Amino acid sequence: MIPAYLISGLLFGTLALFGAGFALGLFAKKAAYVLGGVGSALGVALSLIALTSGRTVSIDLWLVNSTSHAQLQVSSLNAYFLLISSLVWLGTCLYSVRYDDDYPNSLSSLLLLTILSMVIVLVSGDAFTFLIGWESMTIASFFMILEGKGDKEGVRNAAYLFLAFGEGSSVLIMLSFAGLFSAAGTFSFMGPAARVVTPLGPWIFVTALLGFGLKMGLAPFHMSEWLPIAHSSAPSNASALLSSTLTLMGVYGIIDVVSHLGGYQLWWGWLALTVGGVSALLGALFSSVSEHSKGLPAYSTIENNGMIVVAIGVYLIATYYRLTFLADFALVAALFHAFSHSVSKASLFLLNGWMSKLRGTFDLTSANPVPAGGVRGVGAIGIFTALSLAAVPPLAGFVSEWMILEALFQSFRFGDLASQILGALVGAVVALAAGIMVVTMTKVYGFGILWPKRIAAPGEKGGGYIEGGLAYFAALIVAVGVAAPGVFYLASQAASRMLGANPYGLFVTGLLGVPAPFVILSGSPFGGFSPTFTALAFLSILMVTLAVAGAVRARPPRFGLRVRRTPGWFAGAALADDSSAMYNSFGYSTPIRVMLRFLFRTKESVVQVGPVQRTVIRSPEEYVVDLEVLDVFKKFYDVLAKWALGLSAYTSRKVMPGKLGLYIVYIMAALVFVLTYILLTAG
Amino acid sequence: MERLGEKMQLSSVFQAGGLNYALISDTETNKTIISELPLTLSEEFGALLRGSGAKPGSPLVLEASGRVEGYGVFEFPYGPVSWGVPEAGAFSLMTYGERVLKVVPRLNFKKRGIERAVLGRTPEDALLFVERSAGNFSAAYSTCFAAAVEDSLGLEVPSEARWTRAVALELERIHNHLYVFGRLAEAASQNIAATQAHALRERVLRLNSRHFGHRYLFGINSIGGVSRGLPKDERRTLTTEVRLIGREFSELVQYFLSSRIFLDRLQGTAKLTRKDALGLGTVGPSARGSGVQWDDRLTFPLEPYEDIYVNLETEDGEDTMARTMVRVKEVESSTIALRELLDRMPSDGTKSGPHRRRADSLGAGFSFCRVESPSGDLIQAVQLDGGGRVGSLHVRPPSLVNWLPFARSLEGTVFTDFQFAFESFGLSFADSDR
Amino acid sequence: MWDMPKIWVFRGLKKGILTTAYPKSQPTSEEVPTASLPPRPTDAVDWSAGERGCPTGAIDSGGKRVDLGRCVYCRLCSSAGFTFDDGSGSRAGALQAGLTGRHAAGARRIFGRSLHVMMIDVGSCNACNLEVLNLSNPYYDLSRLGIAFTNSPKHADALIVVGALNPAMVDALKMTYESMPEPKLVLSVGACAISGGIFRSAEGFVSPVGDAIPVDVVVPGCPPSPVQILEGLLLAAGRLKETGAMR
Repeated sequence: MIPAYLISGLLFGTLALFGAGFALGLFAKKAAYVLGGVGSALGVALSLIALTSGRTVSIDLWLVNSTSHAQLQVSSLNAYFLLISSLVWLGTCLYSVRYDDDYPNSLSSLLLLTILSMVIVLVSGDAFTFLIGWESMTIASFFMILEGKGDKEGVRNAAYLFLAFGEGSSVLIMLSFAGLFSAAGTFSFMGPAARVVTPLGPWIFVTALLGFGLKMGLAPFHMSEWLPIAHSSAPSNASALLSSTLTLMGVYGIIDVVSHLGGYQLWWGWLALTVGGVSALLGALFSSVSEHSKGLPAYSTIENNGMIVVAIGVYLIATYYRLTFLADFALVAALFHAFSHSVSKASLFLLNGWMSKLRGTFDLTSANPVPAGGVRGVGAIGIFTALSLAAVPPLAGFVSEWMILEALFQSFRFGDLASQILGALVGAVVALAAGIMVVTMTKVYGFGILWPKRIAAPGEKGGGYIEGGLAYFAALIVAVGVAAPGVFYLASQAASRMLGANPYGLFVTGLLGVPAPFVILSGSPFGGFSPTFTALAFLSILMVTLAVAGAVRARPPRFGLRVRRTPGWFAGAALADDSSAMYNSFGYSTPIRVMLRFLFRTKESVVQVGPVQRTVIRSPEEYVVDLEVLDVFKKFYDVLAKWALGLSAYTSRKVMPGKLGLYIVYIMAALVFVLTYILLTAG
Repeated sequence: MERLGEKMQLSSVFQAGGLNYALISDTETNKTIISELPLTLSEEFGALLRGSGAKPGSPLVLEASGRVEGYGVFEFPYGPVSWGVPEAGAFSLMTYGERVLKVVPRLNFKKRGIERAVLGRTPEDALLFVERSAGNFSAAYSTCFAAAVEDSLGLEVPSEARWTRAVALELERIHNHLYVFGRLAEAASQNIAATQAHALRERVLRLNSRHFGHRYLFGINSIGGVSRGLPKDERRTLTTEVRLIGREFSELVQYFLSSRIFLDRLQGTAKLTRKDALGLGTVGPSARGSGVQWDDRLTFPLEPYEDIYVNLETEDGEDTMARTMVRVKEVESSTIALRELLDRMPSDGTKSGPHRRRADSLGAGFSFCRVESPSGDLIQAVQLDGGGRVGSLHVRPPSLVNWLPFARSLEGTVFTDFQFAFESFGLSFADSDR
Repeated sequence: MWDMPKIWVFRGLKKGILTTAYPKSQPTSEEVPTASLPPRPTDAVDWSAGERGCPTGAIDSGGKRVDLGRCVYCRLCSSAGFTFDDGSGSRAGALQAGLTGRHAAGARRIFGRSLHVMMIDVGSCNACNLEVLNLSNPYYDLSRLGIAFTNSPKHADALIVVGALNPAMVDALKMTYESMPEPKLVLSVGACAISGGIFRSAEGFVSPVGDAIPVDVVVPGCPPSPVQILEGLLLAAGRLKETGAMR
């Protein structure tokens, strides 16, 4: 039996290390990252212990009202999320030691403050602690985005956009929590607690889905493109943190709220399927046409979060119909996908951040060369990231996307025709999104990493930290894929809090000569897959190929069997050396822009400027921070924007002197006001 | 001259006897006007019409519009070795992916220099070169050259020879139009339509070989006549064969016109407005597909064409479909014309007598001739020196002036339209490069 | 009135088989037309008049032989006593493709069953190009013999070169040849490719193709008929004895 004090000791140690890093960061950033790395390692240890032991530890801090304590608690569910996050933070801290060279000390400080806030969000046992963590996370991230390089005006706008949507999300979450409070009678509802069945259920679910979904960039809020704009404007290590772990907090929030509710209604599942499916498809499409090396992965985040919400939707409907097997599988699939997406996405941001730094631009279309010294090894490491996000077996991304699709394809088990049809439709949409991601990842790897010309000029070098951080993530991606049954165990351990029992034994077994526990089943009976043995098969094919190639090369040159190098075939012309004669990433995805013009609202025009004709092709995905949105929603946002502008003009004249610091104080004051209001009315 | 480009087309510019001449086509009155060069031409346009262009080995780059720039715009090079265009010639396509923003044809990959190679040769020798300028337009080339030389020499060419040349011209038109039709079907992946068109074309080629001795009509002309006449019985069998081929082609067209997916691919593809067609000097079926009323058989009629009925086929669609329909209708009207030609052909011999003009008057002027080749108006101007040898030869091939309209029609289309536009204009690098 | 639906497939089937029997039997006079027959000296031939009249120097009065690689089949030599068609309609011995002597042994083992062919034009008048393209029409139907066209030299076993080598195409020709995987075959098709033909004195002619890249098989003609090109391909693939009979 693991003693409770070990867990709480590790928790306080982790918090203290991140806190110390936050303070130290102002003076010595490299030391701060080292502290952060150690803190993350402690976090990994803590969460692994908590997960495998299955213990729940609560630490009461102080009494809030007669029924509620401000408390920290560690249970299997949040330990799982803490595990994912800590693994990501560890690699990010390692990478940042080198990457941070061009940024002021404040960035390291803010990065660790954001991490600290996220730990508080995850281990909070009550609504207040949660919201304090949530708010400080948002504000720290806001300042982190302000550190971003490039167009100052654009970065400022992006940061404020992030703040506005973050606060919108907070308000919705508070509304959801208010509902939970009035149903449960306590604010200490986070963590393991009895499920409540209440007429407020729909209210709680919808506000939570919208509030957390807003933070995850889901439909219909993706229309504003706040997430890609904000995430891509930040420094790359911050982007990795925002896009993988900050949206992970949203996943945690939704799953946690759902775990407190009972009496699911059918339409909750439909809502989740629809929101998730639309997000996945649009995220994938917009990702595929993005030319911004960090905007592209940010859209892909929307796609992956959509898939997670789809899996949650299947879980809700299956639970409604008491399809235990399917419900268990869908929930584990959602959790598994959160894992594989977080590690892959953080890795992609760090990869693209480094390549963009070497190229001196975030523009994938740019023809800038890169110093060969800086990219050595990066391509070989990066391929795992791209393949995982393109869902190529046996890597992390494939296993979890396979699980989500298998869950969807079992929608024929649902009890009514509407759910069956919706399930099949969303299945097709998610499969399409996954397919588009192959194109997208080909683009980001091809044009982001392979395409830039290597030059021998002396330039930036990774110094081992960059390569180390990326290799760490690559190893993680391979491990999550190849050792999928182990991750499956952890995810089912996390799900056991909601399911009552650990479903691991139902799904992981042996089959057709593959020994247990190397096969993951998706239903009884439905599909099965062994990532480990697939990896072995791939490896052996590779070995055989290499052996044959080696044998052929080793033979003495004979008729037809010798290696001869010729230049590439260019239709009989010599390959031009200037960049204008080169295919580029914009050209790669223009067919999609042109074919789906109704979706991207692509505008093409040619302007005659003297003897020169200037072409203009634009679609909203281009990184100008104007809130271009889809037609259907445009009107709505236009009206909203008009109101908001009018209101802010009024407040800025009457109330606000226009100082940034004061504005933040206002936000905090508003938060305190709302929390007090809830306390009073509830008390 | 300010009406040039609207009602009048500047068709050719050439030098003869130290003077510059302009050859202008008046599309209103259907007259050919020759004047001493009255206007200054832009260097590029002038070089194009003058046709002398560059020496072999140096490229000729034609730009229909200004430089294109913009985000993501790059140059997509195509050729000179490709299978889509089975000839040596290249293009630069400016694009940002999918959309064709500008096409720049790059010529002279196969310039042999016919005009300089024939200098100082006897017209009979020169004919061997001229008819090998463009294999698929051989009859048009040799007829045009022979007629110009005969005019210079003042030869009385018997009517039978002239009528026989017209038969060859019409057969050449049919096999080229069938080739275009077949290639368009290939581009639209209509494989059966393509093989049927090519099979029909093979029949015409065999007909050529049986009655004229050569599949591509090389060697049919000589100065002052034709190498081989058509005896009465051959005229009859040829009429029957042409009727059969015409009937089969009409069936093919019936199928073509009821094949929605085929038509869809042609309709609206690569539009060339009538204004552009006139302004850029487009000739042949490509111009007539944009409503330009010009056909040398009617507007510059050589002997038999004054006497027989040829319909001027035009379409107003301005697109690939219109250009294809012009060719389709021309195949049909050519078969009708062929029957009339073969039926009413006089029998007064195939060779002229000796020429009557005195040798010292030969070097004075020049003679020119226009012949409607399958792809349009071919112009040649010949000047003989005092010894009766070729003193200068100027050729204005139809393909040369059709490159710019072709490039213009492709602006704003997508890559997959390229093949349709290329085939529908009936362009040949051999023709334009010479 | 009910109209027959116009379906291409049915039309295709209705037309029956047009394809030549060659190479199972000798080609007909339709397939190798008179214009593709080489000049043959008769007893009454005047060699020196022939040499004077020949525009391409194909007739050698000293050696009393006709160089088919130079002949453009213009028939100006008929006045000097050369004949072309014996009038029998038989085409036995009319095929003229020849090996240059550098042809690798074992070609039949490598290319006998499958041959991928690419064509490159280095300055032709387009007639040879069209005759090569004609090989895929139903009358000749190349694919029945396991021969297919390809448009990349990286996929090609054999290269058909047509045209008088132009200065602008020398590099392209060499690049194309270099890009082909080994073992590879090169066919020089038409008088222009073999010797420059009528253009051998023109400014746009550099050299015979054989001087730029190694050539395995020559196919004389101006242009050679599709069957003659086919003969060249079969010869290159080691599927014919030089006599023209199927091996």
